[in-house]
Amino acid sequence: MNAVVMNHLSKKYSGGKAAIADMSLTLEPGEVFGFLGPNGAGKTTTVKVLNGMLQPTGGECLIFGENPSNRPEKVHAISGVMTEHAQMYNHLTGLENLIFYGAVFGIGEEESRKRAQELLWQLELSDAWEQKLSAYSTGMRQRLSIARALMHRPKILFLDEPTSGLDPESAHNVNQMIRNLAKDKGMTIFLCTHQLRYAQEICTRYGLIDEGRLLVEGTLEQLRAGMGSGMKLRIRTDRLPDSIAGYTDADKNEKNRGEASGSRERQGAYDIELAIKSEEEIPRIVSRIVQGGGNIYHVSAKRPSLEDIYFSLTAERR
Amino acid sequence: MNRAISAIVKKDMREITANRQLLFTIVIVPVVLTLVVPSVFLLTAHFAPEDANDLQELMKLMPGNVQNIGMEELMVGLLFDNILPLFFLIIPIMAASVMAASSFVGEREQSTLETLLYSPLTVKQLFYAKVLAAFLMSMLVSWISFLVMLLGVGLESYVLTGAVLHPGISWLPVMLLLSPAVSLIAITLIVRGSAKAQNVMEAQQKAAFLVLPVVLLLAGQFVGLMLINAWMLVGLSVVLGLLAWFLLRSSLGKFCGEMLLSGR
Ligand SMILES: Nc1ncnc2c1ncn2[C@@H]1O[C@H](COP(=O)(O)OP(=O)(O)OP(=O)(O)O)[C@@H](O)[C@H]1O
Ligand SMILES: [Mg+2]
Repeated sequence: MNAVVMNHLSKKYSGGKAAIADMSLTLEPGEVFGFLGPNGAGKTTTVKVLNGMLQPTGGECLIFGENPSNRPEKVHAISGVMTEHAQMYNHLTGLENLIFYGAVFGIGEEESRKRAQELLWQLELSDAWEQKLSAYSTGMRQRLSIARALMHRPKILFLDEPTSGLDPESAHNVNQMIRNLAKDKGMTIFLCTHQLRYAQEICTRYGLIDEGRLLVEGTLEQLRAGMGSGMKLRIRTDRLPDSIAGYTDADKNEKNRGEASGSRERQGAYDIELAIKSEEEIPRIVSRIVQGGGNIYHVSAKRPSLEDIYFSLTAERR
Repeated sequence: MNRAISAIVKKDMREITANRQLLFTIVIVPVVLTLVVPSVFLLTAHFAPEDANDLQELMKLMPGNVQNIGMEELMVGLLFDNILPLFFLIIPIMAASVMAASSFVGEREQSTLETLLYSPLTVKQLFYAKVLAAFLMSMLVSWISFLVMLLGVGLESYVLTGAVLHPGISWLPVMLLLSPAVSLIAITLIVRGSAKAQNVMEAQQKAAFLVLPVVLLLAGQFVGLMLINAWMLVGLSVVLGLLAWFLLRSSLGKFCGEMLLSGR
């Protein structure tokens, strides 16, 4: 059974703007899906619709076969949701909060306490569990929310910006945890984020949305292929044969040419970046420089990161 | 899902009782109505009987057989069986109104409503839990007040007149039927208002200026009956109880998560 199915899903707020427009997407169980897009793209709205907090205005969606707009409680029993607007009680301690939400999910107090303590330990909140939530920092609250979403051991976890307020260590730790949940427990993860570097570390597949539309989806390899490889070769040398200079010309890459000539004027050395189609071109280029009498100080090939892909796709739309 | 509902009920009760200021507003009304007011009344009756011409007038209106009892004893009886029961229509509603008014909009203001809505409870069950929490609170306060009043007034009347207090039979339908029914009607209306309110203040104002007068007016219609007949009281309480039940049932189906989150 698919973990998530969206079938021409649309949501228009009563204000009139379409926050989700005709979105179709399927997630397999165990996927870590990175849902990316600029502010106001419709990520949070999608999470809310998928969990029955909002009624879709068109199309339909299923979470493990359950329809959240008809039976949201069925979906909630198997999904854990962490969003910015789903907070906990300030007058209760971290542990009391978790035990309360455990009970709301029908878990007995002893079992809740056990799970809560384990999660608090994993999220490095062990020192704070006796503290009232009102004394928690933003990052601590956020980590407690992740613990809360995991109390009932959901099959699918929806995380809306889980690491945006976290310090680098905590963010790293949370990412590690998300990755392990998927790997060891087979949990499906629906991750909305702006932190593309972290996303690239843990996601198995991506969807990029803007203005409620799904622009592309696929694995990193598929996204790269969609961009026509996009591989960049960086070379530092003291001499550039014309044929290579011509190579950059032929590529009509204004920026690279500018850089190449710029560095020539400054230091009599070249530090160039070439767009190539495949790795096969690297030895040819290198040998041409060497045959032309040049010394090579640096060669590296870089594949486009998620960030590069994101920028080139969003730039296309502006 | 009983565990979930009882967890929410407990949490709501704790939220109120942990807040001294709120606890004070809950306790003050019963204390005034069941201790201060009766004491003032009894003391006045005891120490200034000669001036009480108005009361003599009132006595003449009473059925013939009561006219033979001692004046002060009669007054105590009058107070206890005919005036104080009225207070037990007010006390439970006042006790629960703060809790009922903040039930939904309070959670929304704390941004905890969405978290609750992500639970495996249906919106109906959530609504039911909220009404139940306020209702149990109202009954708790009501019964404690009743016991305190029984002790207080009984003791005072014994000390002042030497007479032992015999609560009239009409207390039974009042405490067991009329007061719970009226309270449930009020709480259901206030919780509904809370689900639609934009902020806690608005919900409290709605409770104070709309629900309370309407309910008291309704209940006030039946107060005269306390003088007449306990069975009539039972009948009317049952009618109000049914009304409360239907009101609750119809309210349960009225909301969905999206409405609760936006307050519309
Ligand atoms: N309650 C609402 N009523 C009307 N419009 C809304 C509401 N909530 C969101 N929107 C609009 O819907 C669109 C999508 O919003 P959404 O919150 O889903 O974006 P997002 O991708 O989560 O953005 P961010 O990255 O800033 O969190 C935005 O244009 C927003 O203005
Ligand atoms: Mg968002």
